[in-house]
Amino acid sequence: MEAVPSIERLSMRQAQSQRQQTRRSFFIIAAMTLFAFVWLVPIVWTLSLSFRPEHSITANLTLLLPLPFTAENYDFVFSSSRIPRWFVNSLIVASLRTFLQLMICSLAAYSFARVKFPFRQYIFYFVLIGLMVPGQATFIPVYLLFSNLKLLNSFPALILPGLASPFAVFLLVQFFKGIPIELEEAARLDGASRIGVYFRIFLPLSTPVLTALAIFTFLGTWNEYLWPLVAATDPDIMTITIGLNNLTATTYQANYGQTMAAAWTAGLPIVIFFFIFQKRIISGIQISSGIK
Amino acid sequence: MGSAKIANGRRYPLRLSKIERQDALVGFLFIAPFIILYLIFNFVPILQGFWISLHNWDVIGTNIKFVGLRNYEILFGKDKLFWSSLEHTLFFAVLAGPGLIITGLALALMLNQRVRGIGIFRTVFYMPNILSVTVVGLVFARVFAPGERGFVNAILDSLGISMGSWFLDEASAMPTIAITKVWWSVGFNMLIFLAGLQDIPQALYDAAKVDGGGRWALFRHVTLPGLRRPMLFVIVLQVIASVQVFPLIDVLTGGGPAGSTRPLVMYLFERSFDYWQLGYGSAIAFVLFVFLFSISIFQLWFFSRGEVD
Repeated sequence: MEAVPSIERLSMRQAQSQRQQTRRSFFIIAAMTLFAFVWLVPIVWTLSLSFRPEHSITANLTLLLPLPFTAENYDFVFSSSRIPRWFVNSLIVASLRTFLQLMICSLAAYSFARVKFPFRQYIFYFVLIGLMVPGQATFIPVYLLFSNLKLLNSFPALILPGLASPFAVFLLVQFFKGIPIELEEAARLDGASRIGVYFRIFLPLSTPVLTALAIFTFLGTWNEYLWPLVAATDPDIMTITIGLNNLTATTYQANYGQTMAAAWTAGLPIVIFFFIFQKRIISGIQISSGIK
Repeated sequence: MGSAKIANGRRYPLRLSKIERQDALVGFLFIAPFIILYLIFNFVPILQGFWISLHNWDVIGTNIKFVGLRNYEILFGKDKLFWSSLEHTLFFAVLAGPGLIITGLALALMLNQRVRGIGIFRTVFYMPNILSVTVVGLVFARVFAPGERGFVNAILDSLGISMGSWFLDEASAMPTIAITKVWWSVGFNMLIFLAGLQDIPQALYDAAKVDGGGRWALFRHVTLPGLRRPMLFVIVLQVIASVQVFPLIDVLTGGGPAGSTRPLVMYLFERSFDYWQLGYGSAIAFVLFVFLFSISIFQLWFFSRGEVD
C-alpha cells in the first residue's frame, strides 16, 4: 500500500501537471498555426496576385503581399467580360431557388408532421427514397424534358429541378414534430386556420433550422456544376461557376493577375458571406449531419 | 387512419368525418406543390432514365431504337473506357478518402482543446469548403502550375529540389487532385469529428485515467469507440462523394493527361453530351444509381440499427 501523499507533494504534482498542460497547449497552438498558414497560402497568394500588375508577378511570383497594389485586373474583368452578368444570374438563381425551396418544402413538412391525411406515412416513405437518388442519375431525362419544352438556357431550367428537396422535408419534419402540440391547439381554438398556424407558429419557431437550410441551399446552388453545365450553354444565362470555367478555358489563362481577379470576383462574396454566417453554417452542419 | 368511429363503436372504413375530410384535403393541398415537383424532377426521371438506357437514343437525329439490355452488355463486356474510368474513380477514392479522414480527425483532435482563440483555426480549415469548385480549380491550377510559373515549384526550386509537372504528368496528376481535394473539403470532416468528440462524456476519460490509461490507451479505448457514428457517417459520405467525383477533376485536368484521370461521371457526361449517345449515357447513369442507392440503403440500415441500441 502506498502512503497517502502529503499536501506539498500534491500541490507540486498539480503544478507540474499544469506546466505540462501549458506546454502542451503551446505545442498545439504552434502546430495549428503552421497548418493554418499552409491552408491559407493558396488563398492569400492568389488574392494578392489579383491585385498585382503582371510585370511584377513575373518578377517575383511567390510574393504573398499585393505589392505594388493595383485594381487594374478587376477593372479589366468588370469591363471586358460577362462576369458581372453571371454574378447577377447566380444571385437570381440561388435566391429564388432558396426561397421557393424553403416555402414548398416547409409547407409539405408541416403537412407530414401535423395534418392527418390518408396514406400519409406511405407518401412520406416515398419521399424519403429521394434522399438516395443522386443528381447524376436523373439529369439526362431532365435535360430532355427541358429540351422538349424549349426551355434550356432559361432561369426556370436552372431553378426548378432543385426545388423539391427530400432532405429539406426530412429535416423539417423532424423539427416540426418537436413543436408542442398545445401551441397549435390553442391557436386553432382561437380560430386560426391550418395555413395561419403554419405561417404564425411553425415558421417563426423554426428560424434556426430554416436559416441553416437556406444557407446550404444558397451555397449549393451557387456552387452547382453538373446541371448548369448542360442546362446553360448560352453565355448570357450562365451562372458564375460555369461562366468562369468557360472564360478561363480561353484567352485569360496566361495572365495570372486577370485570371485571379476573375476567380476572386466569384469567390470573395462567398467568403464574406461565410464570415457573416459562420456560426450558423458550422452549427447547421452539425445539426443536419445528425451527429449533434 | 381513414376510418371514423361512430356511437356504437363500429368502424366504417373510408367514411370520414367532416373534420377528417377537411384535414385530408388540406394535407394533400399542402404537399401537392412538393409532390408534383418531386415526381417530375426526382422520381419519374429514374424510371425514364432506365427506359432510355434500353434504347439507342441519338438526340441529334430522330433515330431512337429499342435495343433491350444491349447497352449494358457493351458497357460491362467490352467498353474499356468504362472500366478504366471506374478504375480512376476507385484510385481517387483510395487516395483522397484516407487523407480526408486522417487529416480531418487529426485537426479535430487538436482543435478539441480548451484554449482561447482556437475557434479561429476551425474557421480557417473550414473556409475552403464554401468556395466553388471553379475557384478552387483556378487557384490550384496556379499553385501546382508546371514549370517555374507554379507556386509550389517556385518554392521547391528555391530550396534546390527538382520541380514537378503535377497535373500534367500521368503519375502525379491523380495524387495532386487528391491533395487539392483534401485542402478543399477536409474542414467538413473536421467539423463532424469535432461534434462527435464533444459528445464523448468527460467521465469516460476520467475513469480510464483512474485505471492508469496513457494518452494512446485513452485514444484507442475511449476516443475511437466514441467516434463510431461520426466515423461511419464520414466514411459513407466520402464513398458516395468519391463515386460522384467529376467537377473537381473537370476543372483541374479535364480528365487528362491522356484520359488518365477521367472518372466515371465524366465518362457519363462525355458519352451523353459530347457524343450525344443518351441511351448509352443513361446506362452508365443507371449503373451509378444502383451502386449509390445500395450504399445509401446500407447507411440507412446501419444508422437505424444504431438508434435501437
